Amino acid sequence: MELKINGKTVTVNAKPEDILLWTLRDDLEMTGTKFGCGVGICGSCTVHVDGEATRACITPLASVQGKEIRTIEGLAEGESKLHPVQEAFIQEQVPQCGWCMSGQIMTAVSFLDANPNPNEEEIVAAMGNNYCRCGCYTRIYDAVASVAGQGETT
Amino acid sequence: MKSAKPETPATKRRWRMSRRKFLIGLGATGGALAIGVAVGLPYGRLKLAEMIDSGGGGFFSMPNDPWAWFEVGQDGRFTLYISKVEMGQGVHTAIKQVAVDELGLSWDALTVRQGTTSKGPQDSSGTSGSTSVSSSFTPVREAAATLIQMLRQEAAVQTGQPAASLQLQDDGFAADDSAVITFADIIANKAGEWEVPEEPAPLKPIGSLKLVGQPQPRVDIPDKVTGKAVYGFDAKLPGMKFGAVLRPPTLEARLKKVNTAAASAMPGVAAIIEEDDFVGVVADSRPQAWAARDALEAEWREGKLWQQAELEEIVTVGGRGGVVVQKVGDVDEAFAETAVTADYRTPFAVQSPLEAQAALADVTASGARVWASTQVHTSLQGQVADAIGLEAETVEIIPTYLGGGFGRKLGDVAIEAARLSQGAGVPVHVGWTRREELTAGFLQPLSHHRMTGVVDGSGRITALEHQIASGDILFSFFPDAMAAVFGADIGVTRGAHLIYNAPNRRVTVWRRKLPVKTGSWRGLGLLPNIFAIESFMDELAHSVRMDPLQFRLNNLGDDERSRRYTAVLQAAAEAAKWGTTPTGRALGLAGIMDGNTAVASIADVSVDENGKIRVHKITSAMDCGLVINPDGAKAQMEGNAMWGVSAALKEEATVQDGRIALNNFETYPLLTMKEAPKVEAILVDSGQMEPYGVGEPPIAPIAAAIGNAVFALTGKRLRQMPFTPERVLAAEAAS
Repeated sequence: MELKINGKTVTVNAKPEDILLWTLRDDLEMTGTKFGCGVGICGSCTVHVDGEATRACITPLASVQGKEIRTIEGLAEGESKLHPVQEAFIQEQVPQCGWCMSGQIMTAVSFLDANPNPNEEEIVAAMGNNYCRCGCYTRIYDAVASVAGQGETT
Repeated sequence: MKSAKPETPATKRRWRMSRRKFLIGLGATGGALAIGVAVGLPYGRLKLAEMIDSGGGGFFSMPNDPWAWFEVGQDGRFTLYISKVEMGQGVHTAIKQVAVDELGLSWDALTVRQGTTSKGPQDSSGTSGSTSVSSSFTPVREAAATLIQMLRQEAAVQTGQPAASLQLQDDGFAADDSAVITFADIIANKAGEWEVPEEPAPLKPIGSLKLVGQPQPRVDIPDKVTGKAVYGFDAKLPGMKFGAVLRPPTLEARLKKVNTAAASAMPGVAAIIEEDDFVGVVADSRPQAWAARDALEAEWREGKLWQQAELEEIVTVGGRGGVVVQKVGDVDEAFAETAVTADYRTPFAVQSPLEAQAALADVTASGARVWASTQVHTSLQGQVADAIGLEAETVEIIPTYLGGGFGRKLGDVAIEAARLSQGAGVPVHVGWTRREELTAGFLQPLSHHRMTGVVDGSGRITALEHQIASGDILFSFFPDAMAAVFGADIGVTRGAHLIYNAPNRRVTVWRRKLPVKTGSWRGLGLLPNIFAIESFMDELAHSVRMDPLQFRLNNLGDDERSRRYTAVLQAAAEAAKWGTTPTGRALGLAGIMDGNTAVASIADVSVDENGKIRVHKITSAMDCGLVINPDGAKAQMEGNAMWGVSAALKEEATVQDGRIALNNFETYPLLTMKEAPKVEAILVDSGQMEPYGVGEPPIAPIAAAIGNAVFALTGKRLRQMPFTPERVLAAEAAS
């Protein structure tokens, strides 16, 4: 099967019903996308499919064929230029353990692309379905809010 | 890499969590035990408990040998190996700050690496108990100062210049004639072995340290926003396969037999390993391994099908076997007067790190390498070796980043991976499902607390008693003989002691054996005990119509710990505008003195008509001694506030029909941003010269602060965690 991931076309030895998360992590060795619950609750596995935040742990490959998949590994431009949301997460010193952070950042980027000037309620609603067990919520909020209002994120 | 580190250091030490070594490691506490043997076990247990409570246990010591901590490469670059694992608490950054300060180098001149069982300082305590920075602080400084002294003296030998005239810089020493001898040259031209002096070099005065006390960006964060950080669940080796292990369906289930035919025929299955009760599958992909495990047809003896109510009844104070862990005066005499009493209960709760248990093992005939998401790599080495029949020194445990630990990452999954790798003859990765994480690990035990107190007309407590019944926390991991010496589980008693200076005080603990696996959870007994003690302090205050803050201040002594505790109570009260009442909301206060760390928290809450509590803000003030990284300490206070709110409002596991009645997060939801409070974190400086614990103490007051705020708002006293809407609605308002 062919998949479009982070702007490249890759061929994977997989079946249409295989789950995107495991293809990314174990076949393509892109382990930045994390497993948290496997049922789409916690958001650790969030990636973009045609720009939309999508839970990779419940996404079969058949549903993403021909679509643009973007993961945390494809967010920065090259090695040095981080995405503004990544920069904001460093600036606010957001992560503790960091396991949920790829999902938090991918969720935030997709949200801010669609709504570059959100208010507080909108940020909480958009980020309110991603678990962070370390409890970095105030810093996640601050990082997202600091990017909001600065125009398009990508 | 060739380095200055001797190939076979004379001081090579290996540690295993054997009872003998643990007792050796007890240090001062062991002395108390010896006293106890001489004067009677109850007295010895009491002294032991007092010593541990005051933060003076001195349980484990870290080496201060420079070559245990540091490596100076052929290129002259310094590497610091840290035995404590990074699970988000910022320990690698904090210890680097301390080391860089003492070395006198610039930030970028030192690289930090995770220690393993064969690299870096070996310490048997693991990454636990909020002790990582406090226990590393002096040893790493001594190691750093001694290392620079050794390099300076060698530079003096090689250059013929007086040692004192050599100016330290990032790449070496500058002599008076401004010629530089580089570290690379010093290492390359050293004749013979490096000799480590018996006495460590003198340390810099605390006041002269430049990085200690400054907010420092965390060294692990850049790789955590790009997906590059490698955790146990991410570990990879060429040719690796994936494993999964059969789990018993009930608490007491015993395997009768298993039919593996269907599982063997599943796609991708490479091996099925059966050893007594242990049955696991190895497959080409993780979903295949999980599916094949689920296809194992096992027959079980179910055992007794326990119900939650039966376990609650077991975990009830009273009867024989209570162990006294604090005793001042005589409470029984005081209770002859009218006493106030109240019972509190806390639930089974699950640590739930978002990274489930995970390890990759590569076992060969001659040894094993294991990459594990674990807080205890040192003790895990012996456990893995025992499980697969190898000598411990042939097993290397390599800790990865941890996607959360919270007391749960004890590495049992590494033993599973090692057994499967040994059986299948290939590297095997085992990663648990969320269902396994919620049902196959060990839980925070049920606890029951009975508080009794007498207050006189001037608002002084004359007698205070705390009775605790709890399942095991640390006793789950202790040999029985050692538990017998301690009497009371030191995990259960964490936070149980009464700091208020009533002339009559007693704390008694009953150990209750449960059919549920229980163990460590963030802060051990801190949250349950302080929920009971500080809710009851609020009840006592209201019983004599005193302000809860004033009532606490009224009942504190003027020793140093009490003064520091008083200061955080006042700091939190000032910041939260204690005494004001926002419309439709109320404030509640609670505090803790955990070892040498003092924390006070104030919750600002409202309750809707459905009984749903909303925590708007948590204001916490903490005195944790010398602060290394203030931003890191505040992050821990913020995280603990969220943990506390999540535990207080939501988290509960119950047993039904012999099973832990959980499946995935739909049955054990965690706090989200939608319910998250704002957090104001205040660090209080009392001029301490050493750092104390930070990672757990701030969780302790949160549930009591919320419950006390709900009482202030509604007159309803919440005595059972979590405070679900049903319990809030069912609670009766005080008359």
